[in-house]
Amino acid sequence: MTLLDAIPTLSTLASGGAEHFAYHVAEAGPKWMALVPGLPLLGAVICLAMLLFKRDMGGRSRVPAYLVTALLGISFVVTLIGFLQWNHGQPWVVHAFEWINVAWGSGAGQSLQANASFYMDGLSWLWMLFVTGLGAAICLYASEYMANDKGYARFFSAFALFVVSMSCLVMGDNLVMLYLGWEGVGLCSYLLIGYFYTKPSAVAAAKKAFIVNRIGDLGLALGLYLTFTTFGTVQYDELFAMVSAGVDGSGHSLAGTWQATWIPLLLMIGAFGKSAQFPLYVWLPDAMEGPTPVSALIHAATMVTAGVYLIARMYPLFLMDEALTALHVVAYVGTFTAFLAATIGMAQFDIKRIMAYSTLSQLGYMFAGLGVLTTNGAAYHVFTHAFFKATLFLACGAVMHGFAGQLDLRKLSGLWNMKGWRIVSVAMLVGCLNLSGIPVITAGFWSKDMIIAEAFTTPNQVIAGSSLIGWVLLITAGMTAYYTFRVFFRVFVGPVEFEPGDEAHGHGDDDDHGHGGDDHGHAGHDAHGHGDGHFHPHAPGWAINFVLAALAIGSTVAILPNFMGDHGWVGGLLHDSTAFYQSGFGHHEAPAGEHALANSKMEVVPVAAHSAPAHGAPSHDSAPDAHAAGEVHANSFLGMNAHAVMYYVSTLFGLAGLAFAAYLHGPVGAWSFGIGNRTKAAVSRADGWKRAIGPIGRWAEHKWYVDEFYDLILRTPLRVIAHIFHAFDKLIIDGALVDGAGLLPRLLGRTLRPMQSGVLHGYATGMAAGIGIIVLIVLVMTLS
Amino acid sequence: MLWTWGSGPPHAWRGRSGRLLAARAGLILWPLGVWKPSFGSGAATPCQSAERRLNAIVNPLLLYVGLAVGAVGVLMALPRRKVNPQIIGAVIAAAALGGVILHLGLRAADAGQMPNINFYLFAGIAILAGLRVVTHQRPVYSALFFILTVLSSAAMYVMLGAEFLAFALIIIYAGAILITYLFVIMLATQAPSEEEVEALSPYDAEARDPVMATAMGFLLLAGLTGMLAQGVGSLDPAGSAGEQQAIVAHLPGKVMRDLNARGVFDGLEKPAEEKLHEHWDVSAGTVTLRVTDRAALEQSMANERVAELVSDGGGEEVVVHLPSNLKASNIDGVGWALIAGHPMSLELAGVVLLMAMLGAVVLARKQVELGEAAKARAVQFLHAEEED
Amino acid sequence: MLINLLASHAAPQLHAAIEGGLGAITLYHYLFVAMVMFALGVIGFLARRNLIIMFLSTELMFQGAGLALIAFSRYHFNHTGEVFVIFVLTVAAAEAALALALVVLLFRQRESLDAQEWSSLQG
Repeated sequence: MTLLDAIPTLSTLASGGAEHFAYHVAEAGPKWMALVPGLPLLGAVICLAMLLFKRDMGGRSRVPAYLVTALLGISFVVTLIGFLQWNHGQPWVVHAFEWINVAWGSGAGQSLQANASFYMDGLSWLWMLFVTGLGAAICLYASEYMANDKGYARFFSAFALFVVSMSCLVMGDNLVMLYLGWEGVGLCSYLLIGYFYTKPSAVAAAKKAFIVNRIGDLGLALGLYLTFTTFGTVQYDELFAMVSAGVDGSGHSLAGTWQATWIPLLLMIGAFGKSAQFPLYVWLPDAMEGPTPVSALIHAATMVTAGVYLIARMYPLFLMDEALTALHVVAYVGTFTAFLAATIGMAQFDIKRIMAYSTLSQLGYMFAGLGVLTTNGAAYHVFTHAFFKATLFLACGAVMHGFAGQLDLRKLSGLWNMKGWRIVSVAMLVGCLNLSGIPVITAGFWSKDMIIAEAFTTPNQVIAGSSLIGWVLLITAGMTAYYTFRVFFRVFVGPVEFEPGDEAHGHGDDDDHGHGGDDHGHAGHDAHGHGDGHFHPHAPGWAINFVLAALAIGSTVAILPNFMGDHGWVGGLLHDSTAFYQSGFGHHEAPAGEHALANSKMEVVPVAAHSAPAHGAPSHDSAPDAHAAGEVHANSFLGMNAHAVMYYVSTLFGLAGLAFAAYLHGPVGAWSFGIGNRTKAAVSRADGWKRAIGPIGRWAEHKWYVDEFYDLILRTPLRVIAHIFHAFDKLIIDGALVDGAGLLPRLLGRTLRPMQSGVLHGYATGMAAGIGIIVLIVLVMTLS
Repeated sequence: MLWTWGSGPPHAWRGRSGRLLAARAGLILWPLGVWKPSFGSGAATPCQSAERRLNAIVNPLLLYVGLAVGAVGVLMALPRRKVNPQIIGAVIAAAALGGVILHLGLRAADAGQMPNINFYLFAGIAILAGLRVVTHQRPVYSALFFILTVLSSAAMYVMLGAEFLAFALIIIYAGAILITYLFVIMLATQAPSEEEVEALSPYDAEARDPVMATAMGFLLLAGLTGMLAQGVGSLDPAGSAGEQQAIVAHLPGKVMRDLNARGVFDGLEKPAEEKLHEHWDVSAGTVTLRVTDRAALEQSMANERVAELVSDGGGEEVVVHLPSNLKASNIDGVGWALIAGHPMSLELAGVVLLMAMLGAVVLARKQVELGEAAKARAVQFLHAEEED
Repeated sequence: MLINLLASHAAPQLHAAIEGGLGAITLYHYLFVAMVMFALGVIGFLARRNLIIMFLSTELMFQGAGLALIAFSRYHFNHTGEVFVIFVLTVAAAEAALALALVVLLFRQRESLDAQEWSSLQG
């Protein structure tokens, strides 16, 4: 790339100087990579055109679904081919077309270049693979799920546009592209949450999501602007070259500057908004008003991980600050969110909402991982979470689809034993196992474990209170196992019982509620009545089953990357990206263990301050300086090697949670699916526990009244102010000023109108009288 | 309001009052401070001087009584449908206004500035004709009376030394504008026979709100008169021979022609018109010319008129004094003021005239298309007329 | 002939004017006549209903104004007043042409010259 040719010194600096993250000189990638966002864009445009020109047969045409599915599938294949051709190590820069190229001077920072170019390094590849792959799979799922909804084309248009925006966000080679994608996914999220726009709650949820995201986006926008003013560029190549050299755009050292602190903090606020971290998390549970495929793809697997991506991508900037202020905040907020969401999730009854809170909780894990300096753990958790959370959501969606919108876990039971629901149940089980972190056989176990272990091994001197973070995360893991299996035991295990929901969603023809949940009068037609005999669930079709099976398998297969290469496949990818941070690769097989870690920690900060000389190779390859700085010791888990012990400890917590769930909600003989019945005793046990913890349970059920609190401190004052302004506007502005201003001439006109006799002489008399008056005035004035 | 001008201090009322009438008027109007016969009081306040000036021109009491009577006369003279004392009114009005003018004349005689008798003649004609213009029931006569007004105005212009404009007035007004008026009047009205007064259009036979109109007009006149009395007199007569000289200085051709006509150039070098300035001392009013033929000069200087002008020092050059009556004429002055002082205005006047001509052409050619409603209204109106 | 007579009679007056301007008292005479003409024009315009007479009345007002301008011009011995009279004549001519064209149009529409016929501007 020409840009890189222009800064050879920077690239040599980078390769020699910085070891705390990898800076690789980019090479030109193949142009056809532009197809990755291009094909979904084509799909979006075609769907929109069908919508506009009324070629979608009133929303019945299935063309949009298959078209977008196919295009997303091709997009995935293109991504895969690109990935396979990619030479690990050097990022690709694919220049699509020139977008913004303005200069208002020749000095540093006096030009802005932001092209529609794509920057493909390990981080981008990782995200793109699951974005396009899951996108295609969930699109296929949606083709069945959304089949009976009006606005089929509208849905798939927004869906495809989401993939385009996400591609821009992830693949963009500059911050402006990232911002474009960021706002694009926000828009698509808004459109898709409010997809059922006749439903007030959906509209409110869409607005809530959009407005809460504004707060985060303000932070991001300010962060980007500050980045630009500091470095004079928004292009990753140039930006990271400067950061690795520890200088800003005009060559001054960044050490100790306020920008070094505030750029990460502002970017972090953006990440909190998009990834629904405390205190900006309130939009995500409400976002479940959208169709379930949307919840699965956007609000569980991909979009909400954009915040993780942002921090991982900008990790060098986060490391600029010697005190790592932003990373501290990220770690604490992530941990707190994980814990808070888990407590709420334990008390909810709506299974989709439970999944939403579990998403929040898992996102909290990822942020905690970023905060405790393990981008590897965070990214790997994003990867595994994308699969198993999508699986869970899609399984919930299948339930919702089949039971007329019924999502209350108290009203569903024994799906395992119902005909046609076995694949859903198995997929759900796989998802639940992953989410709970059941050891060895689940990918979720490995990724979550990496984060928790790293929290214990990261020295308190680097991230203050990292051990506490580890403990909280461990407890949260136990709670996660509990609420996950609470859902599973309640809904899938036990006797076959159900009450249909009040929606006719997904029951054959929407126009004919022949056996809809709200119509119990057609029992006679029921060929295979289940449950109450009036309603028969609508078992999922091939597309849903296929996708669920594929994702369940994918969730499991996601274990494998953990064992590929020295630090896992994801770790390898991240090594070749800007998110690379060496201490994250100590993990379970690092020979030098905490010493290498401690050493590298000590080195990291001075490098940013340019007080240490250039280091050699990254220490995950070798740890030659392992004993150079022995006075700082890595934390350990109760004196043991955290990485080694963590398997057992987290297994313990996970199984404890599971056992507790089985004790409270499971059938007698918990492990025999379908054999035992959920006894009254089990239910009463749960009730007893609920009574025992007193009001806490009720508070958790009401989400700790956070929404109400926001309502009180933010919305109520705003509403009061709005009412005051409204009254002011009505009375003073409209009433006194506007109407008053109009009233005066009107009264005057009404008074003077009779003078307009229309007769010429009247006017002439007026003129003559005027002349006479003027003469008299002159006379009097000149006399005195 | 009119009387407020004289609200001076009461002690200012002093002085000789030889005339009983004036003294009486002063007593009557004294509370209002209008008229104080204070002739010749030395240091006059502005207020006093205003009164004095008015007094110098006309007795204020007489003036306003005259105006009031004139107003009544005009009111009577305006056309009415039933009782029509037009002639009486006209006589009264003319008598009143004439009385005022006559009084003005008497005062002027006191001051030794009595205007020419022609002024009274033409002023009287102008006012009487003007009265008939506004009071005559037949438009054609009005227009003809207006021509009379224009002619007498032109006579007054001549008396004021504005010959050019006097002729211009006659040509433009009497010749052009009034003819247009007459055309239009004849186009727009059917002239009835002399006897048939009833055949007059109702809008000609009857004035609209004559009391109001007369009151308005005469109040305006009174106000203007008051302003005249106290304002104009304070202006010093301006303009001098110097200004004349200044204009003549721009007119070398006129000088050359005048000198040539007097035979001054015999024996002297005759400069070209545009070279005259090289020889001309404008402030001194002299032209220095080279002698070409001494004998011819001697001979011409035998002529008394030339000798008066040429001072011969016996040298190569002689100084020629411009004749004292070589002045810029009225036409010279107007032309110079117009071309040198207001050339743009002249152009604009031309544009205004052109636009008016175009406008008149466009308007007059326009075929009036009556809408249905307008036609119905017109028919209704005509019916109403017939029923009347 | 008449003009010559007038000019000869005016000669001593003119001479005095050239030397010292028009006497103030004489000026008042002219101004008074001008004002009377103007006032008569106003009365005519206000009182008469015939559009043509109304316009004639305005011409009478023009005459008054013109006479006053000429008198002042003479008084100050300054030609500017006369120049203005030229413009007054210009405007009067233009006004007459346009106004009469309008009058003709109006007459065609209503077959009447009464100014009160046109009162559609009534508020």
